[in-house]
Amino acid sequence: MSLPQVAEHLRKIAGRDAVLDRPEDLMLYEYDAGIRKSTPGAVVFPQTTEQVSQIMRVASSAQMPVVARGAGTGLSGGAISKEGGIVIAFSRMSRILEVDVANQRAVVQPGVVNLQLSEHVSHLGLYFAPDPSSQKACTIGGNVAENSGGPHTLMYGVTVNHVTGVEVVLPSGEIVHFGGKAAESYGYDMTGFFVGSEGTVGIATAITVKLLRKPEKVATLLAIFESVDDAGQTVSAITAAGITPAALEMLDGWTLRTIEAYCHAGYPLDAGAVLLIELDGLREAVEEQAEAVREVCLQQKAREVRRAKTEEERALLWKGRKTAFGALGRVSPSYYTQDGVVPRSKIAATLQHIGDVSKKYDLIIGNIFHAGDGNMHPLILFDIRFADQLERALAASKDILEYCIAVGGSITGEHGVGMEKRDLMAVLFTEQDLDVMTSLRNAFNRENLLNPEKLFPTPRMCREILGPAQNPVLAQEGM
Amino acid sequence: MSATATASRLVSELRAICGVGHVAEAPTENILGVAPSLAATPGSPDEIVAILRFANEHGLSVVPAGGCTQQYTGNLPPRVDVLLYTSRLTEVEHYDAGDLTIGVGAGWTIAQLSAKVAEDRLFFAGDAALPGRSTVGGLLATGFYGPHRHGYGGPRDYCIGVRFVTGDARKAKGGGRVVKNVAGYDMMKVLIGSQGTLGIITSASFKLFPAPRQTRTFVSDFASAEEAFAFRNRVLHSPLDPICLELVSPEAGALLETRGAWSILLRAAGSDAVLARYRAELGAVVSREIEGQNENDLWQAVSDFSHTLLEMHPPSLLISMTLPLADVQPVLDGLALVAHSNDFTLAAVGRVAVGHLLIAMWPAPNADVTLVNFVNAASGLRNRLPRDASMAVLHCPPESRHHVTAWGPMPTDLESMRKVKMTLDPKDILNPGRFLF
Repeated sequence: MSLPQVAEHLRKIAGRDAVLDRPEDLMLYEYDAGIRKSTPGAVVFPQTTEQVSQIMRVASSAQMPVVARGAGTGLSGGAISKEGGIVIAFSRMSRILEVDVANQRAVVQPGVVNLQLSEHVSHLGLYFAPDPSSQKACTIGGNVAENSGGPHTLMYGVTVNHVTGVEVVLPSGEIVHFGGKAAESYGYDMTGFFVGSEGTVGIATAITVKLLRKPEKVATLLAIFESVDDAGQTVSAITAAGITPAALEMLDGWTLRTIEAYCHAGYPLDAGAVLLIELDGLREAVEEQAEAVREVCLQQKAREVRRAKTEEERALLWKGRKTAFGALGRVSPSYYTQDGVVPRSKIAATLQHIGDVSKKYDLIIGNIFHAGDGNMHPLILFDIRFADQLERALAASKDILEYCIAVGGSITGEHGVGMEKRDLMAVLFTEQDLDVMTSLRNAFNRENLLNPEKLFPTPRMCREILGPAQNPVLAQEGM
Repeated sequence: MSATATASRLVSELRAICGVGHVAEAPTENILGVAPSLAATPGSPDEIVAILRFANEHGLSVVPAGGCTQQYTGNLPPRVDVLLYTSRLTEVEHYDAGDLTIGVGAGWTIAQLSAKVAEDRLFFAGDAALPGRSTVGGLLATGFYGPHRHGYGGPRDYCIGVRFVTGDARKAKGGGRVVKNVAGYDMMKVLIGSQGTLGIITSASFKLFPAPRQTRTFVSDFASAEEAFAFRNRVLHSPLDPICLELVSPEAGALLETRGAWSILLRAAGSDAVLARYRAELGAVVSREIEGQNENDLWQAVSDFSHTLLEMHPPSLLISMTLPLADVQPVLDGLALVAHSNDFTLAAVGRVAVGHLLIAMWPAPNADVTLVNFVNAASGLRNRLPRDASMAVLHCPPESRHHVTAWGPMPTDLESMRKVKMTLDPKDILNPGRFLF
């Protein structure tokens, strides 16, 4: 079947206005918030699960690759099509199907925007906990595919901890259900397996999520430090004091100055680093913990600890954190965000290493990240118009992620592997680990038409990347 | 080859793999009355790989075992060729109290793990029945959780990495040792609760929690289930954030040596001020507070409920149900009818704010109960299972096992589960017949 014929089929399924295949329209779908690009052959906007099923059947018979796309806010290339493939865009499947207060659940279509769900149930005193920085735009379908996180995952967990059921269209077009409204089920945990499978197992068309009760009290603190090192040590000290904040974020001096110039969040311009710390829960517990956190910060050489006095002040502190990427766009033509994770006790050393990498590759690297769970987000600034800068940015990024692996961490805490980190999967996992995972993928996605060239390295990459057995640092760490 | 020749070949082959002292003929443990041909205790994942390779080549069935505290569950196995113990897998892979994570071999008992991290004032959130025997591997394979599931989540929430050998003898891992990690498929989720039918877990990493400085259990007694559920709803809609919220029925209360009413046991952690707030919010409905060793003993007794019941009432039906929150009360009401019509006494405990019930039925005093009543009661419960719920008949009298299927309907697509099974254990050597396939 030729591409125009496939497009015609798709129009018959989803409607004449629900398919794009002109080059000027397709350009909008050739990228996400990462740095890779690839132009699809067609974009289709289904409105029902049944249409998704039919689209999958057409793609299968035409042997065309398919990728599901939410808002395209992902940072790992997860929603980018293979060149000439079909993008199934979910912007017309964006209804909240049910809010079930008695069961503390909502059932949503994949195109529902993350923040919209929380706003929709706010009057009931409920909210949806996963809160990626892109939550004003990103969709819950995308959150499910990537197993997205956010600042508050420190206490509440990533998306998989908040999804109890999914309706899935398999590559064959078959519609199946995994789990439901119950918190646990007998049988294999297909829901848990599906969440975070990066669109390589099936496509979610309805998602059952947990709704949490809003905490009675929230305290938001800003601890200001002279150095990144002091802030890093404080993260470990807070944990050692037996306190689990709801969120514990770090911004280094360069990043917070850049943000402050952009949105005037009230961050100090002369600080080496700040920690943004949020505690929530029962009023009495929050007050005690806020005091305990303040003491720990001061013991760890914080210059000052401020507490948001009003909801407006709190919102402003978070606005700074969540609009950081926009702020960076003002000072650099391009940036590359990484998502490595390290054990909490290795944060200070990792920041040191990132500083060394910045010098080695002659690139500015800002740090704004989820310090509480060791999820680093180095922001590497470069100009994509210069090929050598892109190369250096990629090399710096690889250097940082290899360091994360070497100290016992991971290459992604919440963004997913996608296109960009799949070669590093061969460092993190053995060939047999990957063989087990790909055999599971093949059980559902036998012809590898669903989001191909994502998540797993090609066999060639496995051989080319230095394997764990040959790497002395990794061997020493017992990885 | 004759059966005897095959058996002797099996023994010598496994002794060559594990060492002479680690293979026992005619082991004392049996699986639902089925005697294993032999028991092997491999000392490393590589030895497990070798055993499973041999089992695949010769079509042998292998039953993985930890402390055998949950082996009374599941369907009758047609036969057990190798009972494979994980008790020698006891290395510490990593432990840094500052990271709040630990990775240990599958043979660690839950009591050992809890004690190890308690030295650093940390808390392992996994409840286990008989924690001195229950192992890390068994806890994950059965997906077991107890009352602390309410506040800390279950194994699916706190297990962050796993190493395992698949049924087709591939040694692999998923996750890692950091608390946040989405690289690759979530193999922890695949294996947790798979009842040892997909792979043998050899080690696992866990997220730990700071140990609460103090806890208190508030007991509230009610004349009816309806009042107890009204109280549950009140707590759910309050700002309170307890770490356990457990319903105990009157007959279950008698077993747990609480008072024999419909009770809600609520465990809170926090400072004096926090506990005072609980007192104020819960009000006069709280009949007593329990603390210290008595409190720990009470919560362990809740986790041990199934075992206590089976000791006191051996011919009983024991069923575990997971269900949406709003269905818990109506289902419990329906169960009372099923128990009554079959002359059974009903006891229930459950995480009623998570949606998990453990239900026990045994013959009422002087009742003339037959096999038929057990079979009828089990099917009666299955028929009352609401949408999205699932159940397991954990135990029934041995003579009724042939008539009672251990697993009820499940909300998850069976064919997809079968694909996973066929991928990881294509020759069906792991726990054949006991689970779904």
